Amino acid sequence: MIRLSNVSQSYGEEQVVDDVSLSVQPGEVVGIIGPSGVGKTTLLRILALFLDPDEGRVELDGKAVWGVDEDERLALRRQVGMVFQEASLFDASVARNVEYGLRVRQGWDERLRDQLRGLVGGTEPAAAVEDALEIVGLRDKVDQPADSLSGGEAQRVSFARALAYEPDYLLLDEPTSDLDPRNTGLIEDAVAEARDRGIGVVVATHDMHQAERVADRVGVLLGDGFTEIGPTERIFEHPTDERTRKFISGELVY
Amino acid sequence: MPFDPVAPLFPLFVDLPFEQGYVRSIIYVSLYVSVIAVALSTLFSIPVALLMGFAEFPGKQFVKSVINTGMGFPSVVVGLLVLFAVSNQGPLGAMNLIFTKEAMIISQFVLATPPITAISLAAITGVDESVRDAARALGGTRLDVALVVIKEARYGIATAVLAGFGRAISEVGSVLIVGGTSRAPTGSRKRGP
Repeated sequence: MIRLSNVSQSYGEEQVVDDVSLSVQPGEVVGIIGPSGVGKTTLLRILALFLDPDEGRVELDGKAVWGVDEDERLALRRQVGMVFQEASLFDASVARNVEYGLRVRQGWDERLRDQLRGLVGGTEPAAAVEDALEIVGLRDKVDQPADSLSGGEAQRVSFARALAYEPDYLLLDEPTSDLDPRNTGLIEDAVAEARDRGIGVVVATHDMHQAERVADRVGVLLGDGFTEIGPTERIFEHPTDERTRKFISGELVY
Repeated sequence: MPFDPVAPLFPLFVDLPFEQGYVRSIIYVSLYVSVIAVALSTLFSIPVALLMGFAEFPGKQFVKSVINTGMGFPSVVVGLLVLFAVSNQGPLGAMNLIFTKEAMIISQFVLATPPITAISLAAITGVDESVRDAARALGGTRLDVALVVIKEARYGIATAVLAGFGRAISEVGSVLIVGGTSRAPTGSRKRGP
């Protein structure tokens, strides 16, 4: 379980994340909705163990992440995957992109051997790579260069890249904001598949309907911490907080 | 017979008033000195460019100024400074480097490093931050992220190395100063029997 307790973060004068508490269990999808610029990305960077928050505590499976040494933190960080708003694939083949997470987890001798083997005759992609591409429906593109893909395909490869090394948690930052409905649907199916495999998924999105479709629980972020967090249906049907109700009904516009 | 890179140039020299062996040795020494100098400079420049690109440290602006100044530094001045350094009275005097290939390598290193560092730096900082974030998010260590950046910037870095080699191989002034103008000491053959 990833648990944030009373986490705050500011950049200069601006308080971006204010006293947020959140926990993510394996096998659930947590949606974080809120308008742009409300601190969703910062919150995700804290969850990804990229950013040591100014205040508050970050725990992964009971360990205080920022209290351990760097090696141990790397091991914890490797349990978490993240997909960004932009696909930002490496300038290499789809297979090389997807296996990157597996590669950095190998020893240097093994990596060197793979590199040499790739120079001589090419290597078969690992089963995990093909499996991850299968989930996003791009198994046939395994040998293509990444820059030949369309935007939607690139984002799906980026998703497969984070799935291939089987993280325990997966964080998605506006994963479909640039995509057409078909690719959005494919990504949402992949999210469901990841959950079924026991991965804890966090989706930050400004698209309320997407959160309603994919999330088990939803947190509503409206400036200063969660106004409300709870089961998706309850939040959308019977919000208890007045601002949540206004945000969901579209009355509260930023 | 082993491949001889100079052989194709050979017919060009037949009318010159030198024996072939002499011309050949000159070309070998020039290539040797420039290749070694550029190789050393590349090994030095890329880590510096990575540090300049991604790390914050005191004096960064100063290092940047030194590199930019070095880009336009007159090569004869570099030759003089290296000559002072390797001459008997200089800080490296004890190593007896004056009028040797090593002295020429030092001066070419000093000449090639600024352009290689500056052009690599431009290529490296041109790599999108999101690519670095992705490498890190996928579990990369700092070294892994640096390798990804080098790989993404590989064409720019190749340009940097070629520009550095161009500056080194075409260099006359500084090499003449530290290498001397007499024939034998830097490795080119003495004139005929």
